[in-house]
Amino acid sequence: MNFFKNLRSKHSNELTLAIIFIGIFVLMSILSPDKFLSGNNIKTMMFQMPEFGLMAIAMMIAVLTGGINLSITTGAALSSIVCAFILSSEFSQNNNALGIVLGLIACMAVAVICGVINGYVVAYIGVAAMLVTLGSKTLFEGLGLAFTKGGSISGFPEAYSFLGNGSVLGIPFPIILYIVVIIVSYLLIERSAWGTEVYMVGCNEIATRFSGINTKKTLLKVYIYSGVMSGLASILISSRYNSAKTDYGSSYMMQAVTAVVLGGTSISGGHGTVAGTVLAVAIVQVISTGLNILGVNRYIINIITGGILIVVLALRYITKVMEDNRKIKERAAATAK
Amino acid sequence: MKEKFLEISNVSKTFPGVKALDNVKFDIVPGEVHALVGENGAGKSTLIKILSGFQQPDLGAKIVIEGKETKLNGVMDAIRQGISVVYQDFSLFGNLTVAENIGINEIIEKNRPVLKWKEINEKAVKALAIVGAEIDPKEIVENLSVAKQQMVAIASAVAQDAKMIILDEPTSALSRNEVETLYDIIDNLKKKNIAIMFVSHKMEELFHVSDRFTIFRDGQYVDTVNAKDVTEDDLVSMMVGRKVEIKSYANLENKGPVALKVEGLSKKGNFKDINFELHEGEVIGITGLVGAGRSEMAQAIFGINPPDAGKVYVQGKEVHIKSPSQALQHGIAYIPESRQTQGLVLPKTIESNITLPVLKKYRNKIGLIDRKTQRASVDKWVDMLDVRPNDPDMLAMQLSGGNQQKVVLAKWISTEAKILIVDEPTNGVDVGAKAEIHQIIRKLASEGTAVIVISSELPEILSVSDRILVMRKGRIAGEFLNKDLTQEMIMSKAVV
Amino acid sequence: MKNFAKNFVKRKEFGIILIVVILSVILTFLSSAFLTVTNIMDFMKSNSVYGIMAFGMLPVLISAGIDLSVSATIALSAVVIGKFMLAFPNSNPVIVILVAMIVGAVVGVVNGLIITKFNIPPIVTTLGVMTIVNGAVLLGTGGAWISGLPQWWVSFGSFKLFGIIPTQLFMLIFAGLVTWLILKFTLVGRGIYAVGGSQSSAVRVGYNVNRILIFIYAFCGMMAGLGAAAHISIVGQVDPNTYTGYELDVISTVVLGGASVMGGTGTVFGTTLGVILMAVLKNGLILARIPNYWQKVVMGLVIIIAVSVDVINRKREQAKLVRVDVEE
Repeated sequence: MNFFKNLRSKHSNELTLAIIFIGIFVLMSILSPDKFLSGNNIKTMMFQMPEFGLMAIAMMIAVLTGGINLSITTGAALSSIVCAFILSSEFSQNNNALGIVLGLIACMAVAVICGVINGYVVAYIGVAAMLVTLGSKTLFEGLGLAFTKGGSISGFPEAYSFLGNGSVLGIPFPIILYIVVIIVSYLLIERSAWGTEVYMVGCNEIATRFSGINTKKTLLKVYIYSGVMSGLASILISSRYNSAKTDYGSSYMMQAVTAVVLGGTSISGGHGTVAGTVLAVAIVQVISTGLNILGVNRYIINIITGGILIVVLALRYITKVMEDNRKIKERAAATAK
Repeated sequence: MKEKFLEISNVSKTFPGVKALDNVKFDIVPGEVHALVGENGAGKSTLIKILSGFQQPDLGAKIVIEGKETKLNGVMDAIRQGISVVYQDFSLFGNLTVAENIGINEIIEKNRPVLKWKEINEKAVKALAIVGAEIDPKEIVENLSVAKQQMVAIASAVAQDAKMIILDEPTSALSRNEVETLYDIIDNLKKKNIAIMFVSHKMEELFHVSDRFTIFRDGQYVDTVNAKDVTEDDLVSMMVGRKVEIKSYANLENKGPVALKVEGLSKKGNFKDINFELHEGEVIGITGLVGAGRSEMAQAIFGINPPDAGKVYVQGKEVHIKSPSQALQHGIAYIPESRQTQGLVLPKTIESNITLPVLKKYRNKIGLIDRKTQRASVDKWVDMLDVRPNDPDMLAMQLSGGNQQKVVLAKWISTEAKILIVDEPTNGVDVGAKAEIHQIIRKLASEGTAVIVISSELPEILSVSDRILVMRKGRIAGEFLNKDLTQEMIMSKAVV
Repeated sequence: MKNFAKNFVKRKEFGIILIVVILSVILTFLSSAFLTVTNIMDFMKSNSVYGIMAFGMLPVLISAGIDLSVSATIALSAVVIGKFMLAFPNSNPVIVILVAMIVGAVVGVVNGLIITKFNIPPIVTTLGVMTIVNGAVLLGTGGAWISGLPQWWVSFGSFKLFGIIPTQLFMLIFAGLVTWLILKFTLVGRGIYAVGGSQSSAVRVGYNVNRILIFIYAFCGMMAGLGAAAHISIVGQVDPNTYTGYELDVISTVVLGGASVMGGTGTVFGTTLGVILMAVLKNGLILARIPNYWQKVVMGLVIIIAVSVDVINRKREQAKLVRVDVEE
């Protein structure tokens, strides 16, 4: 009983999101039981959601500090392009396994470097994250374009496609990776010392620094983590497309912001949970896939997604105002007595 | 006697949970300086908010301006009726010019879609002349010194044709010379027949500028007296409601080894050639006027504002501290003056605030925070310092000033720092909590912590320190053992 | 006069002018084509769209807000006037431009209303509106181009005064002039600076902050509408997909021109320089025969370096600040 009380008071936002998710899921199932609930569709969602979810976590960690990372998708594309060069090289054609390992290492290395660039300028120089990542977004995109001459790179070893398309015991590999990342992110962000510092920096950087925390290091790690998450997403994307190109996944940038905000993370920093983001990602995914199956025009789905973002935030504001008013009235009544 | 500009009576203000003002009265005559005095929480700021039109009093309040009963409906209405406030933070726009800041109310008042800059500039020049301030009206406000910004704020009130100006804690950020200039400005305003409501709790200036005092205590009206009829002691006992006894803790013996030694510490434009030794178990009080470089020096030792030259030794070893995290590693703690912005992460819990510097201590085998041990030690600190309410999940912003300060203290005590620097520890803290905080500081010292207390309040310095350093113009101007000392002896070193 | 020169060197704008001048000198040596009237007119024409939108974005940034929806707004305005011209082939350019600006302003008012009524941060509001408007545009057009615009529009777009100054440059100058007049001489303009300096103080002195905010976003939308008219007068057809990502280029331009995303600062003069800098840079890269692909690399680096230098300078100034009147 206590558990439920705790759930209601401390995690009311996640609870609401979970109810919305279930509601939409049920609604879609009723509207289109044969298509939406088909094994095929569930599987498709399981293949698509992880890359979006990873991008959303990459965005969330930056937003938690009161920043933002506009470069997640172009950084990811750059990582996968470098990876693709190794994968499509002659060496990899001859040494499949080693080639893939080297490719993955290179991909993550580039992702970390992207994170270090962002993190260094944000933390050590002190430029607003919005501007830094606006610049680095263009920079990474430009490097990707320069490397690929605007085209795409393909011709990967067969085995590489497993990462984005394969299953283990019938469970899609991307969803396994996603679940592992969710657990790790939860532990790191909500249960570790570093994670607590992230929230504190997001609320008040000065007071955190004055408490003897090396906030520059904290922030640098945030952008590295953000880079790593988007790097992982880029592996899934390049594997699924079996190629790499600068504009793959570019729509995830704005979608990630949507999911993060929808998930209850405050855009000014300091508040938000991994669970909220994950649930919001699932909601957006179910809506878009579900409506798609129902034959709704893709553009209408976009309109609905944008509408949900604004309506949910407006509702949150209205309920907060009503709550405050109720409290004031209660107190006034109490003092009158 | 001249006709009163303003007379209020029966003014009450109820907030959810508290009655901030209970049936108070106040009146003021043109050309008079009438001080409103009282401790924190006496209701001074609530009355200012009502007179500025920012808040409405409870029903039944009577407000008479120039003989006519009236209401103050909003900020613009109060200004129209001749009442302007110069807030403690001035409420200026740092990114705009002096002229625009002075003219802004008129710009809005006239509501002309197109502005006439020439007119605005001329008005500003005139208002600055009345105040007697030599400031270029085209200068951007954030490039001005604090004192000049205050002059701009006053000029802005003058430009609104104010007949009464409320000065809210006007000297809190001014240096000695600047305070003198402010006195001149007040004299100028008096000559122009402007009434001034002066809100402060600093005895010296209260007696210097005021014609009359009205005293509030706990939201209630106590008395109104002529300045020349009372002494400082009388005023204090009216404010506090009882004789305040200052307990002296000074203990000139039992000093341990040197914990902190500072040699020739200097930073251009901040402080120069600072030398002192601080022993374990000792409390040094550092005082001096605001702007003497006390906080700058402390922040240099703590690594926020690293020095240009000089040496710092901790436990005999030379250290080079460039950031607070390095200071923490050397066992130095610093409690900043601004609790709300620098001391606490207000939207987070007591628990997260107290354990912030020592999070790593609670890591379990796999590197995560062990919530049980964390909670246990937070409970211990909360109990020990008697933080109320004693709920570690309470947000820091929900606490009173005194309890907030206890949380900050707990945060640093939990680091087991050997050297503790406290900057204005009882700023905005009520009398009861003040005594508790002094006790905590002395208890820490008796357990071997070396403590520096920076404070402008001489009674506090005299109560809590063993030794006293006086700073003036960035240098140490005097050093005393806390024995048979008087406030005058200290002041004589602080002011020249 | 001396003082003026000294102050001017200290100003942010001076740095930008310096960069523009140095770049221009280098480019003049590199290519004889650079410093010709035709070339300058050409690159200003092709950058006029970003410029017009940048003037709209400037007040938004001064107020410490942001508008991500301009790329969707320009697309919507472009589509609307495209269809309008096909429906009313006997109309004229003035009406078309007015329609474009009105459409933009409507989107802006929606932004402003959501921001003020529901207290949703501008970045989130405009992101949502961007998604919705973009969806609507693509839904309405199916992503298809609109071509076959009337002849009078085509000749309006290619008209050059004295055979030199293109129409779009006039639109750019008009946008800059209007923005300057509003920011400098009107009540609402000064309110924008006040809101950006301190929103709570702006309320305290009596500004109607909500009305100011709605005006800001409406103006930004209106300029995006004007941008749409300028753009399709250059290209002669409407491609609803072409405007993706415009918002970031526009914001970069304003930021390069010295406005701070923290609000409170920014001038039309600075933004003008930002527009010129962007235009010279792009043109220079082309003239220097640097492959198209590397342009973004240079742009990204320029943005990162410019904002970093600005922050470093500000920190240095602050460190030099005399806090205590030290007795020497």
